[in-house]
Amino acid sequence: MIENIDRIRAEATNKISDAQNPSDLEKLRVHYLGKKGLLTTLLHQLGTLDQDKRKHFGAVLNQLKDECEKSLRTRQHQLQEKELDKELKNAPPIDCTLPGVSFSSIGSLHPISRTIEESMQCMRQMGFSVLTGPEVETEYFNFEALNTPENHPARDLQDTFYIEPPILLRSHTSPVQIRTMKNQKPPLQMVAVGKVYRADYDVTHTPMFHQMEGLMVDNHISLADLKGVLYTLVKSLFGARPLRFRPSFFPFTEPSAEVDMQCIQCRGSGKECRICGSTGWLEIGGCGMVHPNVFKGVGYDPDQYTGFAFGMGLERITMLKYGMDDLRSLFENDLRMLEQF
Amino acid sequence: MLVSVQWLKDYLAKADIKIDAHELAQKMTMRGISVASIRRPAASLENIIIGRIEKIEKHPNADRLQITHVLVSLEAGASTKQIVCGAKNIAEGDLVPVALPGATLPGDLNIKVSSIRGVESNGMICSGKELGISDDSEGILKLPKHSVVGHLLSELLGGSDDSIIEFEITPNRPDCLGMIGLAREAAPLLNTKVREPKITKFTNSAHRTSAIVKVEVENPEICPRYVARIIDGLKVADSPDWLKTRLQTVNIKPINNIVDITNFVMLEYGQPLHAFDLRKIESGGVRVAPCRQTMDFMLLNGEMARLEPGDILIMDGERPIALAGIMGGANTQVEDDTTSILLESASFCPDQIRRTARRLGIQTDSSKRFEKGRDLVAVATAGERASSLLRDLAHGNVYHPPIDTREEGIKEDRIALDMRDVRRVIGIESLTAEAIVEHLEAIAIVGQKKSWNILSITLPHFRPDLKESIDIIEEVARLVGYENIPQKITTTNASLERIDDAELDFEWRAKKMMIGLGFRETIHYSFTSEAWLHRCGIDTTGHISLKNPISEEMKLMRQTLLPSLLQTYQYNLNRKTKNQRIFEVARVYERDTSEETGIKETPWVAALLSGNVFPAGWRSENVAGDFFHMKGIVESLIRNLTTVYLAYEPNPKNRLFHPQRCATLKLGLKEVGTIGEIHPFTKKHLLETDEPVVLFELNLAAIKKYEKTITKYVIPSKFPPIELDVALVVDKNLPSASLMETIRNSGGGLLSQLTLFDVYEGANIPEDKKSVAFRLQFVAQDRTLKDSEITDLKERMLQTLKDKHDAQIRS
Repeated sequence: MIENIDRIRAEATNKISDAQNPSDLEKLRVHYLGKKGLLTTLLHQLGTLDQDKRKHFGAVLNQLKDECEKSLRTRQHQLQEKELDKELKNAPPIDCTLPGVSFSSIGSLHPISRTIEESMQCMRQMGFSVLTGPEVETEYFNFEALNTPENHPARDLQDTFYIEPPILLRSHTSPVQIRTMKNQKPPLQMVAVGKVYRADYDVTHTPMFHQMEGLMVDNHISLADLKGVLYTLVKSLFGARPLRFRPSFFPFTEPSAEVDMQCIQCRGSGKECRICGSTGWLEIGGCGMVHPNVFKGVGYDPDQYTGFAFGMGLERITMLKYGMDDLRSLFENDLRMLEQF
Repeated sequence: MLVSVQWLKDYLAKADIKIDAHELAQKMTMRGISVASIRRPAASLENIIIGRIEKIEKHPNADRLQITHVLVSLEAGASTKQIVCGAKNIAEGDLVPVALPGATLPGDLNIKVSSIRGVESNGMICSGKELGISDDSEGILKLPKHSVVGHLLSELLGGSDDSIIEFEITPNRPDCLGMIGLAREAAPLLNTKVREPKITKFTNSAHRTSAIVKVEVENPEICPRYVARIIDGLKVADSPDWLKTRLQTVNIKPINNIVDITNFVMLEYGQPLHAFDLRKIESGGVRVAPCRQTMDFMLLNGEMARLEPGDILIMDGERPIALAGIMGGANTQVEDDTTSILLESASFCPDQIRRTARRLGIQTDSSKRFEKGRDLVAVATAGERASSLLRDLAHGNVYHPPIDTREEGIKEDRIALDMRDVRRVIGIESLTAEAIVEHLEAIAIVGQKKSWNILSITLPHFRPDLKESIDIIEEVARLVGYENIPQKITTTNASLERIDDAELDFEWRAKKMMIGLGFRETIHYSFTSEAWLHRCGIDTTGHISLKNPISEEMKLMRQTLLPSLLQTYQYNLNRKTKNQRIFEVARVYERDTSEETGIKETPWVAALLSGNVFPAGWRSENVAGDFFHMKGIVESLIRNLTTVYLAYEPNPKNRLFHPQRCATLKLGLKEVGTIGEIHPFTKKHLLETDEPVVLFELNLAAIKKYEKTITKYVIPSKFPPIELDVALVVDKNLPSASLMETIRNSGGGLLSQLTLFDVYEGANIPEDKKSVAFRLQFVAQDRTLKDSEITDLKERMLQTLKDKHDAQIRS
């Protein structure tokens, strides 16, 4: 019987692995494992043997049965795979180089908003709160509170839009500083962003533009802190870039400075550079230490507190960042421009 | 302020100093005296030759052109050059700058032989502006009589080593509107000291000045000092060449020796002077007084000025003879036969000079200086300097002493400077008192150490901008050099208590949502054109108007953002962009008396959709965006930003919109926006398009109150949901929203989703009815729902729908 079993095993293994299609395989299954199959019959015959032999042959037969089942499963998987392969080989191919199909569009921020967002993020990380304020202002907040009384020469520098004096469109974001300081005790760290207005319209001026204004007040703030904050901000917008602080004059700060950034085009060489007018530097904002008169006006003690303020025009930053050369194009809203952002 | 570097040397102790103009400009810039331009008057003019116009003929083909024959060489047998010229101010015999073929003018203008209206022209006769040496483009630059034909222009203009630096003087530094003031800044940068002009003392004259004229100042506030001198024996003539050249290099036209000297001294000291022809002063004196009544006054430039009360006048008896600090009168001006003058050196109230100059729209070299501040010492010095030049250059006999209305001396104030303040503001701990004193001394400010931390600073008379300690701190910072201040990162406790503006954050959330929904952000001016608003059918009564708009197109403050979007739509349509999705988040402006300014600013979001909803492509469907696409946008926006539902109420009255396809967005009873397709008339006649255009606008401030913030998380149910489809036949005009409301209310807490997925009218449905189909999803938090539960619920719901809306189930 043992030889018989070995022969059956060899034969079954061969036949199963040679089966060429599922129906042949099914026939083999019936032949060996079906109700009247070879192994089933042999298992039924076990009862006729004595106890020792029955135990021995039972184990051998059951093992053979398991082996057959396993071979059948393996061959079945192989045949299925073969069939699927054949089927897929005959499937028509697609042109995977055809353009993708969009089912929704993505919009975009206006480039000025992008600049605002990047600046705000940087300033927030440095602990500044982001504020806003009215665009329609009074002469008091726009000028007087900023140490710019009537007839002050500095009022010459900006031609202001009036609704009906003393109501005007703010000519800078600085009134937000005043409003905030009047409501908030020091220390203070804030930026204000928004639209400002000046009666000027030519290639380099639009009657409305955006400004960002920063203010930091505490009992230990110096020009060195101002330099640090501006350097960090410029770095976040343009990458690490040399800055130059030049003494200047604004009525609401003293000492005051203009901030220049090394030209992004000629990298400071100034060689026939159209961007910086061959100076090697680009003016990007004004800044300074808050004038004691401004502090007095809002009820801060100038003997106890110092602070810095800075302001920059965001159109200019945007144009420099993206290499745009026409300021007015920012407000034409040409979709061919907007879609690039 | 134009500065000739050669001239500047006159005021430096080391007169033979070599100055590199670019280096000086760079250093001055870093000290706060910024530079607008540097010109080398000679360098670019090497090939410009002095010529003499021998003959002028009419151009045969052009009335405005002339043909000149110009001699450009004195060599024997040299012939004249034929040059066509368009300027009117030329005459035969004039000495003029000539650019011959091959020469290059500033701005890379190459001169070639050319034919101008059919006549050959062999070069160009130049104006000062064309040569880049003045801003005068009016006519040809006339050269002085001593110019030599054939010589280079650069030799005449004082050699090629001069440079003209144009400084931009900030309003706080009137002292730098004079050469001496600038030299004071430049000297330490050039390692030298400033040197003021030497003035030889006058001996007292036989006749007292006061015996000839009287000077009266009504109110020292409008004129704190008036120094008057009498000078007679004058001979009006051309100024010497050196003086003319000095003036010409800084674009001041030489007139005659008296006028030139007053101009020259003004440029030296920044102190304007004025010379009256003494014989024309009728009352025997002058009086400084405010104008009392409106009157007309002829200025010496020939223009009539309307004087108003308050203007400061120099009066001769009852008639004005000068508009103080701005311009003299025609009635007393110096003429060719003038022999004696009253030389005025005075100081006037800056605010009043400024008011008058602004009102009259006259800005003179004099008014520019007077309105920025005063140096009462220079009033006397400049008068003396001018007198000495008039004596030396115009044969003048100077009466001495002059009349001076200022009796008390000029006292320079002193202030205390606390070293701790200096260090605290500048941020350099190591700054010593000695260093500070030394820095200040370099620009002639005297400081003395009084105690450990205190310096006493004398405020110099020539720096009217220095008044308090912070002004001195600025000087120290400037002199230390901003580049030498370290940079530091610091923080304050303010970063612990943030005060960010929540409304601004909400606006940004809305912007981000709109981008996610596929819209491009636009930014428009806050002011718009009344005409455009009218064409959009918008009533502009009550709109806020600018008092001084740039133009009619930018006059009214926006009360709605939609017309701007339409303008941009049209702009892009004209550039062949048909599919447009644009939006704007901006403020609108309305009158509101409860506001401090009487004007309320409210942030809105508005959007425009036109053309295909799906991006173009080889497999995309062509679906034109309509009302419901836009409504989908609004719903997404509202759902993501807020916790409210908006009601859509038909609005047939808005003239911008299609009367049947427009709705008012309502939050409770409050109108918070509009949505709709544009009115066909507007579309056709204003935008000239057939494409549907859909718009919405929404008041962000109004919905901000219901801003969505996740305050409590709801655990999703662990039990399976049951879905149910129901089709209802209802009256055609029944708003679907009321059906949905009824379903929601009767569905109770188990109804988790309600979707309207079909609306049908037509076959199998009565003519006045429509079928509306819904998919309902039910779920419970605590159990698996039984079918019987849902069946019961459905029966009750259908009964309610029948009772309320006469809704039949569609079979």
